[in-house]
Amino acid sequence: MRRTRRAFVASAGLAAGGMSAGCGEASRRAARLRLGAAPSDLRPTEAEARLLNRAGFGPSPGDTARLREMGAVAWVDQQLHPSSQEPPDLLLALSRLDALRLTPMELLDLPAGAVAGQLQQAALLRAAYSPWQLRERLTDFWTNHFSIDVRKADGAYLKPEDDAAVIRRFSLGRFRELLGASSRSAAMLTYLDNRDSDGRSPNENYARELLELHTLGVDGGYTQRDVREVARCFTGWTVESRFLRPRGRFRFRPDLHDDGPKVVLGVTIPAGGGLRDGERLLDLLADHPATARRIGAKLVRLVWGSEEPAWVRSTEHVYRQSGGHIGTMLRPMLVSARLADAPPVFKRPLDFVASALRATGAVADCGAAVQAHLQAMGQPLFEWPMPDGYPNTTEAWRGSLLARWNFAAALLRGEVSSASTLTATMARDFSRTNPRGAADVLASRILGRQPDARLVEIVARTAALGGAQAAIALLLASPEFQWR
Amino acid sequence: MRVDPPPGRHGQSRLTRRDLLFPGARGDRPRPADSGTRWHIDPTKDAADRPALIVLLLRGGADGLHIVPPYRDDAYHRARPTIRLRPPNDRTVAKTDRCIDLDGAFGIHPALAPLVPLYRDGSLAIVHACGSGDRTRSHFEAMSTVERGLETADRGPRTGWVARYLSATPPATPSPLRAVAFSDVSPESLRGAPDAVVLRNLNEFRLGSLPHSSASEAWRAGLVDLYARAADPVAPAGRAILKAVAAVQRAVAAASSRADRVPYPASGLGAALRETATLLRAGVGLEIAVLERGGWDTHVAQGAGGGWMASLLDDVARSVAAFAADIGSGRSRVRVVALTEFGRRVAENGGYGTDHGRASVALVLGGSVQGGRVVTDWPGLDPEDLEGPGDLRVTADYRSVLYGALRSLGCEGALSSVFPAFRPVVAHSPFLVE
Repeated sequence: MRRTRRAFVASAGLAAGGMSAGCGEASRRAARLRLGAAPSDLRPTEAEARLLNRAGFGPSPGDTARLREMGAVAWVDQQLHPSSQEPPDLLLALSRLDALRLTPMELLDLPAGAVAGQLQQAALLRAAYSPWQLRERLTDFWTNHFSIDVRKADGAYLKPEDDAAVIRRFSLGRFRELLGASSRSAAMLTYLDNRDSDGRSPNENYARELLELHTLGVDGGYTQRDVREVARCFTGWTVESRFLRPRGRFRFRPDLHDDGPKVVLGVTIPAGGGLRDGERLLDLLADHPATARRIGAKLVRLVWGSEEPAWVRSTEHVYRQSGGHIGTMLRPMLVSARLADAPPVFKRPLDFVASALRATGAVADCGAAVQAHLQAMGQPLFEWPMPDGYPNTTEAWRGSLLARWNFAAALLRGEVSSASTLTATMARDFSRTNPRGAADVLASRILGRQPDARLVEIVARTAALGGAQAAIALLLASPEFQWR
Repeated sequence: MRVDPPPGRHGQSRLTRRDLLFPGARGDRPRPADSGTRWHIDPTKDAADRPALIVLLLRGGADGLHIVPPYRDDAYHRARPTIRLRPPNDRTVAKTDRCIDLDGAFGIHPALAPLVPLYRDGSLAIVHACGSGDRTRSHFEAMSTVERGLETADRGPRTGWVARYLSATPPATPSPLRAVAFSDVSPESLRGAPDAVVLRNLNEFRLGSLPHSSASEAWRAGLVDLYARAADPVAPAGRAILKAVAAVQRAVAAASSRADRVPYPASGLGAALRETATLLRAGVGLEIAVLERGGWDTHVAQGAGGGWMASLLDDVARSVAAFAADIGSGRSRVRVVALTEFGRRVAENGGYGTDHGRASVALVLGGSVQGGRVVTDWPGLDPEDLEGPGDLRVTADYRSVLYGALRSLGCEGALSSVFPAFRPVVAHSPFLVE
């Protein structure tokens, strides 16, 4: 039952018609029609919910149907080779975002805040509505691995290109290519100050984070002297700023480069290498066992939820065998029959928001209203102030529960989305069947697993007293829905 | 009781150039005649009147040499030709490029002028060459060290020191707002504290509603029931939040009826300190607040009297000064300690900024503080005095400062579990020894 990529995208049947910023009544009607056509009573099994939660941002009716039709292995293999095509509704919404079509120089006419808002909007729209869920999950992962706070300097104008040409382009490809693209990214050169580093007195900011965060890790065996030597290798790596040149692009300035010999991690980089110094160094770092171990362990944590030693060993091994190919490292865990038994992961705010929109089939433009809630939860995208990316521990995020509850209420008030048929369907179900039966169906559909009896009882009582809306808002706010 | 210097070179017996330059800089200076802020714990007082500690984390590695420059030392001026602050009496430059004299050896950045009256009246002390044992010069390792109350991040408990303090000192009257953090995410210092609350602002800290009151009520009642189940690991956090929401809204209601509001800067820190003052005044049992101000990673264009770092210091100074004025006489039961993860390289870099270094300063303000002085075993700035790639050595452990602060809250007995395997140096902490 092999399907073409085109058919796959076309059948995504996204309930996304009303997601553009200024949606009119007609598009809202269209959205409702399409939503109504989506399989509305499809309950994901526990294994399906787990896979959609780890490979993506949780079950949506459409993706659950596709996963069931294709089977897990075929679905994962298709996800590992995403096309650039998106469903028409999502494409339409994205095409209206200047941040995605203009160059950094052209964007300068817009306020930085507007560009940052559009960048965030695009990330949310894709997480919630793209059928290429694995690419979106990995895009979020690498966005944090190579974290850039767009509020620093010209970050808002430079980050869209970094997002497209660095993070998205290589998110499932080779780590060395991703690393190389990041090292020449104007956004990264600006964020970690390498654009201002020269041979006379090198700036260590990028050099240090390259070793500590991007490759080896803090226990990766480098010294303070290595940091300085790495900084020397990258002197002269800067951003084009001359008149009538492609400003905002990578530029190497030999006159600012320290061309003397360097010794990094015990390896001599001979004098006179120029631009090759940095490239040799990136090869050295990408091939280093500490990098294989660290990237492997981070990917295991991403998919498996903990750094399970057996998976860390095998993924580290695959890193070396595959030349650091990210998709190849991910596949064994994603197709593993044991994935459903892996430890639960506490959702970050982005996970929570996207999964809530997906679970309820809500049509949101992901503009200012959704973003304000995300900020209240502590995760305004692309704004983590430090270069290590948003934290991924349960501890860091459990203070955001109140803001999550309030997002659930706002969603059911209709403040952040323009259409969801779930409420109407459920109101009907609650009135037709016994409330406990309806609560059980609703809970297992939203939570992606068989709910416990006490929860069903509380949901049924909430529906009886406050209606289907209150029951859905309660399920999204429940402890169970905060895990994936 | 001071950190033992390496034999020979830094011994007290030998008079060094440093001793001549920094005559009082050994931490043994007499305190000003009247600090006016002595505070004793009265066990009969209830939670509303208990003393409180405000921890301000300056994230990003704040440059202590820029905040409190040793302006008498030529080495300082040589190392930082572009970003240095000029001596207080250097009439060749504008006043805004000169530091303000503190004690004849150290000055304070002109943007911190709003704090100088607090220094002069004995409420504010500086601890210089202060830091941790972390030598990775990594933001994350170094801040984790400070937030977990350790020597270095690679060994010791995973919990935060604030969390350990809270469990070691259970209050007679439990309060849902005993510890709060004003932050986007829970700071590591509160890791392991199940009942600590993370806030962004007090007005936002309320439960939303659904279109009909019956739906709202059913939803809220359902929330209470769902989180009352013990099984889920986040359920305790949910229960703590539900309790805190009610307490915060009472405090907000009390604050809105108050007429004489002190103006705060329109910054995140200003807002957080204003909210902290509101909670303190409302008597909700707040004992520890963790606040933060980021942006100190000044690798380029750090500025001198003006510029990037000056604007950060301006925010800190005006926010803290407003807070001090706002709590007024309540200041005697409040202590503020501002810390950072590390200081910065002594020499400026080619981008007129500074790279990651070692020691920085801690600012200490409030009740029980023997202020009006720079507490330091000054390690010196000459090349042979520096550590690693050219960094100010740490001579005062940041934990001595925190230890003194917690002891002044009245809980000496519990401190061995808060800072395990640590022996504090009393002279490094500007708090009164009772």
